[in-house]
Amino acid sequence: MLGFLCGEALRDLVRAGWIALSSVLLIALSLLTLGGFWMFSTNLGGAVARWREQLRIIVYLKAEPPPAAVDALGGRMRAAGDVALVRYVSKAEALQALKRQLGAQAAVADSLPTNPLPASFELTLAGTASTPAATRALVERLAAMPEVEEVQGGTEWVERLTQFQRLLGLVGLGVGGVLALAAILTVTTATTLVLHARREELDIMRLVGAPEAVIRLPLLLQGIGQGLFGALLALLGLVGAYRLVRPRLEPLVTLTLGLPHTTFLSPAAIGILLVGGVLLGAVGGWLAKGRA
Amino acid sequence: MIELHRVSKVFSVGPVKVPALSDVSFKIDKGEFAVLCGPSGAGKTTLLRLLYRDEVPSGGRINVADYNVSALPRGRVPELRRAMGIVFQDVKLLRGRTVYENIAFVLRVLGTPRAEITPRAFAALKAVGLSARAQAYPAQLSQGEAQRVALARAIVKEPALLLADEPTGNLDEGIAAELFELLKDIWSRGTTVLLATHQAALAERLSRRTLVFHGGRLVKDAR
Repeated sequence: MLGFLCGEALRDLVRAGWIALSSVLLIALSLLTLGGFWMFSTNLGGAVARWREQLRIIVYLKAEPPPAAVDALGGRMRAAGDVALVRYVSKAEALQALKRQLGAQAAVADSLPTNPLPASFELTLAGTASTPAATRALVERLAAMPEVEEVQGGTEWVERLTQFQRLLGLVGLGVGGVLALAAILTVTTATTLVLHARREELDIMRLVGAPEAVIRLPLLLQGIGQGLFGALLALLGLVGAYRLVRPRLEPLVTLTLGLPHTTFLSPAAIGILLVGGVLLGAVGGWLAKGRA
Repeated sequence: MIELHRVSKVFSVGPVKVPALSDVSFKIDKGEFAVLCGPSGAGKTTLLRLLYRDEVPSGGRINVADYNVSALPRGRVPELRRAMGIVFQDVKLLRGRTVYENIAFVLRVLGTPRAEITPRAFAALKAVGLSARAQAYPAQLSQGEAQRVALARAIVKEPALLLADEPTGNLDEGIAAELFELLKDIWSRGTTVLLATHQAALAERLSRRTLVFHGGRLVKDAR
């Protein structure tokens, strides 16, 4: 029976012709858009995660602490949050670092009457503290310490990137969603047109006492078929585009985002796109099924 | 097999009520061959549509086989229709399928095991004398042949009851008489047959029980 129902659904798909093809293409386009944004967002997310791992917080001190107090102060800073590593940079070390950076112009630093650079602590965060909210809370606790003059821990730009990543995901969802809606409507139209073409068959099926499921299931299967074809087409498009663009884009991505290599969609994401396609088609077929 | 008790049917056309059947009562036993006779508009088709639950009566009670048709829920209508075969004047054959496929289609949608489909479809075609036309398309058939295919399609599921609505309406007298003979053959194998026709002379020649309708009323029940 299932073979017969699938055969009927396939026969209907062929009968629907161009309109069925346009539904398949629309589903493919919506999933291609969604998958494209998803892939970009995933790679950007990877870069953000790497940057977050390498995040440092610089705590500038009001006055250079006596050598005996450095460890205790460092210990208090470590206790302020999930800090993995604390490194003390004395005023003299800071000046040496400046001289190294100035290179040939290092003599400029020698002409200063006193060393103007403050002593500081460099804090490397533990993985658990690397979320924007946890980092912000840590910065606030460090800034509240009486010995601390200023805390510089650039979390803002990482947060901005995270927000951009989220925005990208939302734009992908939005555009993909609009296209998905159009795809559902096209599947419904395609299936409804087939339904009108099959009106005589449906009448006969009803008159001979065919169960309603047998009458309506081919319509649902037809929608699912269109969704599955569309999803496979979208994945094929994504793989093709990725293979084409990757050799040209990867050096640029490595340079700008610091990612050693780009990644394609995960197997789970591929599965979700496939299921998404099937669902889009199924919803379209189900809407048409109601008109049978 | 069929029992109607004070059945009426009124169609509403906007605010206008059009009575199609009024106070109709009769009983047809299992294995009987009965003819519904009357001019066009007498209510024969409406009566058949009530029997296969294409319409719901406005009043009265209808029983077909073990089903109380007048109170049958929609979900059980397919069950009722599986117990009967129906033949129409306009044959309703699927144009894109061959004669064999038209008949096999019924068995397929009813979930008949694959191995049974071909032998049963050909047995039905043989019963109406059309085995040789199995691969023809409806457009290649004469009206008489098309009506015989419709009959084969109705009997292929071996129904207990056969309803035939003006099956000879478009046929000349000779071919109509042949079709009536086929109906008698089917009846002689135990199927209850209810035939609706406006061809009174042909009905008379059948020498079967005749229920005469006029203006939506049963005016004569001649055994």
